[in-house]
Amino acid sequence: MARELPMVAAINEALHIAMAADPTVIVLGEDVAGGGGRREQGIEEAWGGIMGATRGLLKRFGPERVRDTPISEMGFLGAAVGAALTGLRPVAELMFIDFLGVALDPLLNQAAKLRYMFGGKARVPLTVRTSTGAGLRSAAQHSQSLYGITTSIPGLKTVIPSNPADAKGLLLAAIRDDDPVVFCEPKSLLFVSGDVPEGDYEVPLGQAQIVREGHDVSLVAFGRTVRTALDAAELLARDGIRAEVLDLRSLQPLDEAAILATLARTGRLVVIDEATPRCGIASDVAALCVDRGFDLLNAPVRRITAPHAPVPFSAVLEDAYLPSAERVVAAVREML
Amino acid sequence: MIVTPAALPMATPVAMPKLGMTMEEGRVLAWTATVGAAIERGQPLLRVESEKSDFEVEAPASGILRHVYVEPGTVVPCGTLLAAVTATADEPFDPAAFRLAHDRRPDAPPPTTAPQGSAPPGVTPPRPAGAPPAVTPAARARARELGVDPAQVPGSGPGGRVTREDVEAYAASRPRRVAVGGGVAIEVVAAGSGPEVLLLPGFGTDVAVFARQTPTLSARFRVLGMNPRGVAGSDAPEANRYDLSTLAADAARLVDHAVHVVGASLGAAVAIELALAHPERVRSLALLAPFVTASPRLLAVLDAWCRIAEEASAEALATALLPWFFSDRLLADPTAAARTRRGLAAILSRVPPRTLARTAAGLRAWSGTRSAMLGTIAVPTLVIAGADDLLVPDAPALADALPSAQRLTVAGAGHAVGLEAAEIVNAAILRHLEACTT
Repeated sequence: MARELPMVAAINEALHIAMAADPTVIVLGEDVAGGGGRREQGIEEAWGGIMGATRGLLKRFGPERVRDTPISEMGFLGAAVGAALTGLRPVAELMFIDFLGVALDPLLNQAAKLRYMFGGKARVPLTVRTSTGAGLRSAAQHSQSLYGITTSIPGLKTVIPSNPADAKGLLLAAIRDDDPVVFCEPKSLLFVSGDVPEGDYEVPLGQAQIVREGHDVSLVAFGRTVRTALDAAELLARDGIRAEVLDLRSLQPLDEAAILATLARTGRLVVIDEATPRCGIASDVAALCVDRGFDLLNAPVRRITAPHAPVPFSAVLEDAYLPSAERVVAAVREML
Repeated sequence: MIVTPAALPMATPVAMPKLGMTMEEGRVLAWTATVGAAIERGQPLLRVESEKSDFEVEAPASGILRHVYVEPGTVVPCGTLLAAVTATADEPFDPAAFRLAHDRRPDAPPPTTAPQGSAPPGVTPPRPAGAPPAVTPAARARARELGVDPAQVPGSGPGGRVTREDVEAYAASRPRRVAVGGGVAIEVVAAGSGPEVLLLPGFGTDVAVFARQTPTLSARFRVLGMNPRGVAGSDAPEANRYDLSTLAADAARLVDHAVHVVGASLGAAVAIELALAHPERVRSLALLAPFVTASPRLLAVLDAWCRIAEEASAEALATALLPWFFSDRLLADPTAAARTRRGLAAILSRVPPRTLARTAAGLRAWSGTRSAMLGTIAVPTLVIAGADDLLVPDAPALADALPSAQRLTVAGAGHAVGLEAAEIVNAAILRHLEACTT
């Protein structure tokens, strides 16, 4: 049975399921307990992270497994890597991916490297949950889509759901994976609802999904831009142009076979990414198409991304900054 | 303000199109839009005359018809820049510089190298003038598979880019050679999709005589034009004569089921022979100027035809044949007569004298042998005759001998009724084919 839940509730459900099923799963980060657990003050339960994703965990699993940390990303991510090396499955919350800069060493040089440095004898089953993206008027320092950085680091996996059902299944798969996984939560989707199956299930890492079939052009998207692609496909359908929409779901491992397969069907590909264009996922997908799908290309690959600029605070400018269905439609029209 | 060429708004060129392999030049008949007018992409911009037909050239982009380079009445080679379309009426535009960059006729001066300058971000730099049309990688790969030279394929993508679909359409329409036995291959030119219609051209001509029928028919049917043995790209085996029974057998080998057959003159005779000898291949007949017994005048013209082809140019032959093929109406119009003569000469040049002699011998042997058998042809038949046909004056009478024949006599048309009265003939053939198809 499936119910309608917002993505944040699906994430919360996945954490409950993972912690109930496996006593080695712990949660730590800023405000994950949210100041709860003060029995002497009569405050047992609290908000549960700034988005409420960890709500109810403290009461159910106790302060040993749900730990608030100081505002020190370097500190608690380092602790999480150590915990992972010594047998736990930590789920650390990096409140905004914008804070990656002060937390990068434990990820880049420790979590990502240790399996390699110790010849496969060490494993780092760490999950880092982090919110990404623009659209909430949070300005340049709390709106970035920096998943391109984590995707580029060998040894890290990076996933990003576009809907509540995938959020739950991907998070369960990430927690149970023996390698460090960065789990990106698109902020603008956290309170958007969708059908979520009951119970325990996983969405395999590295598997893209076709969310709309078509034969004229492929729209490759992930996270927030899947909605953009579906809206564009609907606009194009009015003119008889059948667009196929591929949701990548995982950025690393990348489902290269699915990208090349949709390109083979349509011969035309637009990749849509809300991140900035340089050295990003959109460029990576475009390069894959040219490198391994050259003979499939019936038009230039087009990238629809944010401009090479910080996310603006002005609401008008922020809306203009993000990829829109209209821009996708215009790009497709130029290809046909 | 200094405007670098790379930052200039891009204008769109309109060039003399090349319709088919044989078209080398075209005449601008009239502009249907005026300079300065707002135009929509796809709107007719001008009418052009080639050796085969008049056609309209459509606007390649929406905007303003900014500049016209070629006045009505002028004949220019294919690729010549005819006009420029700009997005707005007041954007900077330099007609001379644009001509230098976009005039693609064979003898145009080479374009000067554009000054260096980096394109603004997000703008595709224009292809250098004189570069071959862009071909997408998928089109290139498909062309390799199909054995097509992508440089020959007209592009329909943005900026004339050749796409995979263009290559596939080109491959489907290019002539292919079908083995018909005896080591002989027959050339077939195909177009369109739908139920199949086999076109059989007349004496000494190739499928180009159906140039004014093919576009109409191919919109609803798969048109298969046969170049008979000895004609154009078909093999020309040694023989004293090409019997009509052999030509009909060749046609029967091109298809594996019953198809609609359209024949003109000798092609109509071959169609009749096909219906008699291979009835399982014929679904219906449309016969233009058909005969089963050649008139003395027809035989005499064939003698002259063979002789002139041996001794003179194709232009001379076309000049001699023109009055036998067309009515006074066409001959009275010097422009139309000259254009028709040029087109006819091009067709005649593709049939060597040996083929004429062999085919004429086959026709003589066949003439008069089938009159008593016409009653056995049961398929729906349409007979079209030109009222002014000097070579086959008894076509209407032949219709009376066919049990299921409809008859259409076109006033003011001669022997080449399909060329001279194309619209009437096309409408009649379409009605006939659709009645037979449903």
